Amino acid sequence: MPSTEPAPVDPRPRVSPVDGVFGVDGYRCAACAYPVAIAVAVCPSCQGPVEPARFGPDGTVWSSTVLRIPVPGRPAPYVVAYVDLHGGPRVLAHVGGDRHLPVGTPVRLTAPGPGGDVTVSTR
Amino acid sequence: MTAHIWGVGSSAFGKQPGRSTAALAWEAVGEAMSDAGVRRFDAVYVGNVFGEPGMAARALLGLGIHGLPVHTLESACASSAAALAEAKHAVESGRHETVLVLGLEHLTSRFAGALPAEPRDFEGRSGLATPAMYAMAARRYLDVHGVTAEQLAKVAVKNQGHGMGNPRAQYRNRVTVDEVLASRMISDPLTLLQCCSLSDAAAALVVGPRRRTARDVAVAAAEYTTGGLWDHTSEHVWGFELARDTAARAYERSGIGPADADLFEVHDAFTIGEIVSTEALGLAAVGEGARLLDTGHTALGGKQPVNPSGGLLSRGHPVGATGAAQACEAVWQLRGEAAGRQVEGARAAVIETLGGGVGLMDGNACVVAVLTR
Ligand SMILES: [Zn+2]
Repeated sequence: MPSTEPAPVDPRPRVSPVDGVFGVDGYRCAACAYPVAIAVAVCPSCQGPVEPARFGPDGTVWSSTVLRIPVPGRPAPYVVAYVDLHGGPRVLAHVGGDRHLPVGTPVRLTAPGPGGDVTVSTR
Repeated sequence: MTAHIWGVGSSAFGKQPGRSTAALAWEAVGEAMSDAGVRRFDAVYVGNVFGEPGMAARALLGLGIHGLPVHTLESACASSAAALAEAKHAVESGRHETVLVLGLEHLTSRFAGALPAEPRDFEGRSGLATPAMYAMAARRYLDVHGVTAEQLAKVAVKNQGHGMGNPRAQYRNRVTVDEVLASRMISDPLTLLQCCSLSDAAAALVVGPRRRTARDVAVAAAEYTTGGLWDHTSEHVWGFELARDTAARAYERSGIGPADADLFEVHDAFTIGEIVSTEALGLAAVGEGARLLDTGHTALGGKQPVNPSGGLLSRGHPVGATGAAQACEAVWQLRGEAAGRQVEGARAAVIETLGGGVGLMDGNACVVAVLTR
């Protein structure tokens, strides 16, 4: 049965491949170099102008968990992590498997999940 | 001039699908009006998150309260605490004289399970439900500070134990560390008994100028702000810096420091929340909060009880009503009316409410209030 819910604009960070390497298509402040993964009007840190920037593919796990209760449209369990992209922003990413990743685990961006989730795997 | 709380009231807390939102409001406001000896107001400040438009004004009609400004404030979990902050300012600035604060939430008529992830938020759209948000804070905190799962579980054991003395609480169970850890895993490392659940309730406060009665409680401070950036430079778990900085302002304004407070009602939506909150409020250094549980410092009978009401884990977390409920508990404690959970000789209480949500933000909103007699 088709959903009758309106679909809001997808607010997630955009991930795309360039020469087979995945990266987040985000923004960087032209004044203070602050990196941000999502759409913003100006730099959230200094209100300077932002320009397109690309982040990744490598990053480090800040923290991670396995969510074991279902969220609408998402069968449980699934693994998520906050990942600090090297030289870039902290992003929320999905991780394959069924175990959380320890703090400090090196990871790399991979192809986004089927629904468009930012996704990483262990290197 | 310092605003005072003249009277308080609340409904019972828990899943109450058979009761209307208005009926919960009538119970809470009715008790607060009797307690304060006041039946007319100049304005109402409402804290609510998930209710329908016009809900509060319609509920108030059944109490004969109409023809006045009704301001509804949404600040996530801190909504009715923010309403208290606004009420204090309204009274002290002379905008209004007698003000009603109403926290109101009926979650079981909206949601079947856990609160849904918001699809318009970039992390909600990615499936970051609230338990996972707190679980990642807990995972990070445990790893960095060498705190154990058993220490985390002690928050639930303490607060469920406190709730046994609170007849309005949603859950009143004596539980052990083993039982907490053996309950169903929700989001590693947080088990079911470490997570608050859906609750329906209303809580009300009557706020006005000082009357020099024996029962009125001063709102010595009520500071409210949204979070700054939480990003790749943030070492602390989300919410810590927001709560710490809001508390610092509340302490400065009230002249009451963390060592002066006799009790605290803090945002233990999940067990990790209480440990981080007690550090942010200055009860312990960063990484040392779990020791307060080991030593009994924050248990009833200890030097500075935290969440004598049972907190969000036991009393329940009707999102928009929680801040007002915390203030109710503080008032009962400061008046010596808390019966079996009374903190003896309490003269100063601190409440802290933290509105959830990460997404580049260090929490949606935080209120820290200091109440004194
Ligand atoms: Zn900037």
